[in-house]
Amino acid sequence: MKRKLLIFFTLLLITFTLFSFKSSINKMILDFSLKNVNGKMISTNSYKNATGFIVVFTCNHCPFAKLYSKRLNDLHAKYSKLNVPLLAINSMDSLVYEEETFELMKQKAKKDKFNFPYLQDTNQTIGKLFGAEHTPTAYVIWKEKNHWIVKYVGSIDDNGEHPEKATPFISNAVDELLQNKNVTEAETESFGCRIFYRKK
Amino acid sequence: MKKTIFAFLFCVSFINAQAQYNNMWIPDTLSGTTFNLNIKDTFKQIVSSGQQTITGGINGNFWGPTLFINKGDVVHMNVKNNLNDTTTIHWHGMHLPAVMDGGPHQTIPPGTTWQPYWTVKNNAATYWYHPHLHEMTEEQITKGIGGLIIVRDAVESALALPRKYGVDDIPLVLTDRDFSSANQFQVVPYGDSMLTNGTLRAQYSVPAQVVRFRILNAAIERSYNLGFSDGRSFSIITSDGGLLNAPVAVTKYILHAGERVEILVNCTGQNGTSVDLKAYNSLLAGSVAGGENFTNGPFANALGKKDFNILHINIGAQTTNPITTFPTTLTTNSLLSAASANVTRKLTMTDSAGVPGILGPNAFILNHKLFSLNVNDYNVPLNNTEIWEVSNTTAFGHPFHIHDVEFNILDVNGVAPVPAQAGWKDVVFVPGKVGPNGTAQVVRFIAKFDDFADSLHPFMFHCHISLHEDEGMMGQFVVTDKATGINNIEKNNPLFSVYPNPTSAKLFVKMDDKNASAYYVKILNAVGRTILMLPRPDLSQGIDISHFAKGIYHLILTDEKYKQTASKTFVVE
Repeated sequence: MKRKLLIFFTLLLITFTLFSFKSSINKMILDFSLKNVNGKMISTNSYKNATGFIVVFTCNHCPFAKLYSKRLNDLHAKYSKLNVPLLAINSMDSLVYEEETFELMKQKAKKDKFNFPYLQDTNQTIGKLFGAEHTPTAYVIWKEKNHWIVKYVGSIDDNGEHPEKATPFISNAVDELLQNKNVTEAETESFGCRIFYRKK
Repeated sequence: MKKTIFAFLFCVSFINAQAQYNNMWIPDTLSGTTFNLNIKDTFKQIVSSGQQTITGGINGNFWGPTLFINKGDVVHMNVKNNLNDTTTIHWHGMHLPAVMDGGPHQTIPPGTTWQPYWTVKNNAATYWYHPHLHEMTEEQITKGIGGLIIVRDAVESALALPRKYGVDDIPLVLTDRDFSSANQFQVVPYGDSMLTNGTLRAQYSVPAQVVRFRILNAAIERSYNLGFSDGRSFSIITSDGGLLNAPVAVTKYILHAGERVEILVNCTGQNGTSVDLKAYNSLLAGSVAGGENFTNGPFANALGKKDFNILHINIGAQTTNPITTFPTTLTTNSLLSAASANVTRKLTMTDSAGVPGILGPNAFILNHKLFSLNVNDYNVPLNNTEIWEVSNTTAFGHPFHIHDVEFNILDVNGVAPVPAQAGWKDVVFVPGKVGPNGTAQVVRFIAKFDDFADSLHPFMFHCHISLHEDEGMMGQFVVTDKATGINNIEKNNPLFSVYPNPTSAKLFVKMDDKNASAYYVKILNAVGRTILMLPRPDLSQGIDISHFAKGIYHLILTDEKYKQTASKTFVVE
């Protein structure tokens, strides 16, 4: 019996450890600044009125990420007015992927009429900080006691090709946070093109 | 009234029965001698509703085009890797130079074009191409990267066989996949859902005549025990690498990972009826992939030890000029005789228990060691005829695949192969031992290693269960030509020039030594990204660089004789 208990608690500990490593929910994110496609640095601490950010890791070439340009514009148009602006970050290794250069990011932002900052994470540090594994992956970070806390991580919604049929995970999360509620669905599966991190 | 209700219920059930199937997708075709293959990350609506599945595709959004090539032609492949990751493309079953083979050593970095070419020496049959990046094969095949190759030759073309692709000559790529709650592929050995040509619950209409199915087992692990729901007989006409001497009538046939068969099914006079092609996997032994019955753990799955549908076949009207009978003979294979062998190599398949450096107790290995990219297992002298004796002491059967050659099975535990396998093969199933005290199961095959000596690039041999292969159940050999041995000769770096420089359309390479030739040319851009990889290029026509962006480039050349490299810089303007 003792042995069974021991096994049970070992398994419980393993599960707990794995879960706490994997999940980014309630993780604290420090202020960061990155270069926008207009050449200017954008910093989270320069948004004095922001109560939160929608942070979307995306890129130029990923076919699945490409489906979301209009939806990102719509999210920013709606929520930046409510002090929850959207920041898009490209953490792809631009040495390996020719399509991910800063010049091509500028062209994409222009072509898709991005109304939000499209930032290059040249050293991939911010992608690592968040733990983003794919494009697109979306986060909602919220200000709590002057710190940014991850409140949502996962997909933008649940239907890439048919936005009209999609459950808008990001909107739902931000709406709940704006009403001082907990996020009902705080974590969803994210998938798309893998972000490979350069080995140091 | 009762009759009306009954008729209504019948109609509803009929509609439901139809609705439960999806029309099977047929891969596009490419033919000729130059093939452009663009490997990319993409997505497809595979599950009927909800999120699209992230996939890998070649030219399209899942799997790739079927390549039609003719025996005797020189075929050129322009393989562009637009994936997010490095990959390779292996031409499974093709007899070609090792440097063109697409095994784990012929890696294509992201953004690079690889241009192998070869003279088609294979017999008419169904082959395939798929990624072979070491430790990533399972993941990249799971995404759906791959495609079929159909070789035509004079012998096959002269036979009265169905040959209308997608009409009476139908490709069937068999896999199974697991989907996450968000409809995404899981990288697991066994899936819960059968996928036939990337289609869930597939149905297809065939004409009421003789129909040919070209069937590939492209699964990660599972074997499929093929049979029809009405128990009808069908005839096998090819083994992996060519026609059998005559059609072999069977009612069941087990196809293991990597294997192909072409079968003939007679649907003459059956217009308006339907039949299912099924996997009768409840009949598989527990030592055969898919015959286990795990209730939990990483190998548990909904299809394990069960019978399930592969394809619902609706038989419709006959076409014009239908084939309605099976040929009685197909070809005359000259098989290799055991007496002609120069050497017998003995290989073992064992559990990894006790072998250092292996995680977990249950991996399978070849020759008591893990695969290493840097260790060559065998030197095979050019023109050797060899018997390979593979002895399996694991409790599980493994489909053994060798690159470079098609072989003949000599025997399985001393018994001659079944008629459907008495032809040219490139995968052979080595059964698992029976019971804890069972003896080793031994398969012997014979192959001739003519052509393609190369001291640098090896060919592979491995278990075709991708999980086992990725875990290290693989080895490699080089084919060596003693006549051109160069061991004691001073090896000079190749001397060459490139012109014109700067250039804008073509770049020519001139070797100082007129008798020297290039073994490999790579072109890198200024930041070191590989743009073009040219194994054994024909440099007489120059290298097309017209699509290159302006800038500085480096050309790295390896010469054929000494395998030494040197580089030149050139400018595109």
